Amino acid sequence: MRPARAARSGGPASGSVLLPHLSRRTLLAGTGAAVAAVLAGCSGTSTAAPGSPGPLRIGAIPDQDPEVLQRQFRTVAASLAAALDLETEYRPVTDYAAAVSLFRTGDLDLVWFGGLTGVQARLQTRGAVPIAQRDIDEEFHSVFVVNTATGLAPADDLRPLAGLRFTYGSETSTSGRLMPAYYLREAGVDPGGFPGGPGFSGSHDATIALVASGTYQAGVLNEQVWRSRSEDGEVDPAVTAYARTPAYHDYHWLLGPGAVERFGDDLAGRLTGWFTGLSADDPDDAAVLELFGAGSFIPTEAANYRQIEEIGRDLGLVS
Amino acid sequence: MTAVLERPAPPAPRLRRDRRRWAWGLGALALVGWALAGSGLFTGPVLNPAGTGQVGRFLGAAVRPELGAEFLGVVAGSTLVTVAYAVLGAGLAVLIGALGAVPASRTTWGRRRTGWLLTRGGLALPRGLHEAVWGLLLVNVLGLDPWVGVLAIAVPYGAITAKVFADLLDEVPRGAYRALLAAGAGRGTAALYGLLPAAAGGLLSYSFYRLECAVRSAVVLGLVGAGGLGYQLALSFTSLRWEQVWTTVYALALLCLVADVAGRAVRRRVAAPRPGPQRDPVLTGAVLAVLALTGWAVWYLALSPAALVSERTREQVAWVASAAWPPATDGDLLAAVWAASVETVRMSVLAVAFATTGAVALAGLAARPGRPAGPGRAALGVLTRVGLLLLRAVPPPVWALVLLFVLLPGVLPGALALGVYTLGVLGRLVGEAVEEADRRPGEALRAAGAPPAARWLYGSVPALAGPVLALALYRWEVVVRDTVLVGLLGAGGIGVLLSAATSSFDWPAVTTVLVAIVLLTVAVDLVGARARAALR
Repeated sequence: MRPARAARSGGPASGSVLLPHLSRRTLLAGTGAAVAAVLAGCSGTSTAAPGSPGPLRIGAIPDQDPEVLQRQFRTVAASLAAALDLETEYRPVTDYAAAVSLFRTGDLDLVWFGGLTGVQARLQTRGAVPIAQRDIDEEFHSVFVVNTATGLAPADDLRPLAGLRFTYGSETSTSGRLMPAYYLREAGVDPGGFPGGPGFSGSHDATIALVASGTYQAGVLNEQVWRSRSEDGEVDPAVTAYARTPAYHDYHWLLGPGAVERFGDDLAGRLTGWFTGLSADDPDDAAVLELFGAGSFIPTEAANYRQIEEIGRDLGLVS
Repeated sequence: MTAVLERPAPPAPRLRRDRRRWAWGLGALALVGWALAGSGLFTGPVLNPAGTGQVGRFLGAAVRPELGAEFLGVVAGSTLVTVAYAVLGAGLAVLIGALGAVPASRTTWGRRRTGWLLTRGGLALPRGLHEAVWGLLLVNVLGLDPWVGVLAIAVPYGAITAKVFADLLDEVPRGAYRALLAAGAGRGTAALYGLLPAAAGGLLSYSFYRLECAVRSAVVLGLVGAGGLGYQLALSFTSLRWEQVWTTVYALALLCLVADVAGRAVRRRVAAPRPGPQRDPVLTGAVLAVLALTGWAVWYLALSPAALVSERTREQVAWVASAAWPPATDGDLLAAVWAASVETVRMSVLAVAFATTGAVALAGLAARPGRPAGPGRAALGVLTRVGLLLLRAVPPPVWALVLLFVLLPGVLPGALALGVYTLGVLGRLVGEAVEEADRRPGEALRAAGAPPAARWLYGSVPALAGPVLALALYRWEVVVRDTVLVGLLGAGGIGVLLSAATSSFDWPAVTTVLVAIVLLTVAVDLVGARARAALR
């Protein structure tokens, strides 16, 4: 930032005085200490014993309150570890694309993906298998919300939205971007149109806040988040629901090939068995189900997300 | 009288220089006017008064940050991670810089310009990409390894450091070097004993400056998921928990403050060494402390060099390379890249114009007064400096969202977000420039009975205009790189394209956009260097 000063201070006056200060002795001693410290640091980082498979690393796309996610996935990780007798670890991620990349690199083994991110991850990671989804994921919805100043009353017609400043959520969110864009186009509204182009708020909560402020007059988000924020009374009264999309498949658990290699071929089956076996009658299981806002987990397969993949290709989100 | 007579002022070159400055000044004015015209300020409403409530919520949370023991514990741990990234990133950058300075120096190549030009061109690539972009790319190759954070700082900083180190070595007086060569020493030996000692002060000073910057960069890295304070901030930010955001911002501000104060103390010491042959205990202590900190950081992050050459890393590099090459060249994308580049320039010009105006307006308050001042003036000064510190402690993406509450979507929220952040940085630098400026002309005018406005106009402005404009030009290059950050949140500029391309894993398009960003940075770099030369 101040090259001028640096250049000046490198002049002969300061240099000749500094010369004895940075004598070879100091330099060598310092370098030696640093090298020793680095070596000491490195030798301490021996990896896990070759025989042990290490922990099953669980992750999730960051589409909700991180604190809730933290609680949710710590609970799952603990219950799973106890039930299947394996070591688990939850690793929070800040960004949708990072979750997909980390699944590809094998840093995450079992990830709670959205519909689109799940497809992206599966296409990039050969051997990835969908494990389970919630009962509500079979029929998931998005909610279009509007600022009350627009004067729009709830309706099924999406066309009035075309003239409003509009924001999606995260760019690769299934419920905050992909499916709403699809249904907008079905209704004859250009999903990339809108005055000034659509915005990407980055998260469902930011969508609510931006529509409440009126910066964007309308937006779209995950119905589950909208419902939970409404029930908690956290939604600004300036935001109101306008329309609800038809149902589509959304969230699911995806297992990476690396974990199967480490834990054995039956891992996918055991995981599906555990998830689908969770029962609301058992108090421990109920805690997990409640955190996920689900009645139960049900099996799923790659074919369920074919529509999402096609729409993703159409919109240029899957390549 | 003799002093006046002894200073002959050759008129011819002066006039030529002044004309050049006129051209640059008019060009700059035109550029700012063009940027303002494109901002939508004059074509329609830009304010959204209904959003003041949301901004109020953000500002209100500043006085009641989250102070729960558990959260404070998390923040403390994250602070250590950030410090470790900063120290290792800066350390590695200095190492890369020291090695890179050899091929980047004119002294090495002598009259053979080709090699020098090639090296300089090669350095533009790592330098042109923001730390956050490097982080984004490295996550794809190294996953969650702590090397991501370290390398994302070390790669771009290393390239900048190599360039600056090479310049420092080239600018050192050559007497000793030539004498050694003439006495038959090899070129390496001659450089080691004839150039290095004279440049040591500048090199050390710059290394500490890099460390200061690395702290702020380590925070931004968290936003792409590399861990540390920025990561906590990103987590709290996505769910709009402003109380938590402020706690992290305060921790960050504290960290920046410590780095600024310590770094500045060391750099002042280097610039004005104490007389006498003794070793300066403060400098020795600082160097040893940083070395110890480096050792601790390696241990704390459990950094293993083996991860860099592991089979998985090689596989992932091959995967990314094959996916990303060749770059996409379809017409639609290129047109979008061009439009976004223009928008980026517009945003950066607005941001720098805003920050420079603000910094100049606040400079008088931000600078510590030369003579003892009243308690009111002192309190105002502290308040201004703390305000500037907070402005640069809140990362640009957060400013972008907050400003988006009260401004309608467009270029303006992103530009202002960068402007506010840059004001935090520039305000401090301009304040320091004011402190260091020669006060005698102003005092002389005061003694002669000039009113304050005239004192400022004739006493301060002529001496400060050059350094302040040079700082502003330098920040302009930085802001162009920073636009990528606000773009990641959709606030306009080329970052929007990058964000779209990375989130849809369209690797060929990612390459195209990155190439465009590098070219843009190089262009702005060249224009900035030319303009600074005209100011000199």
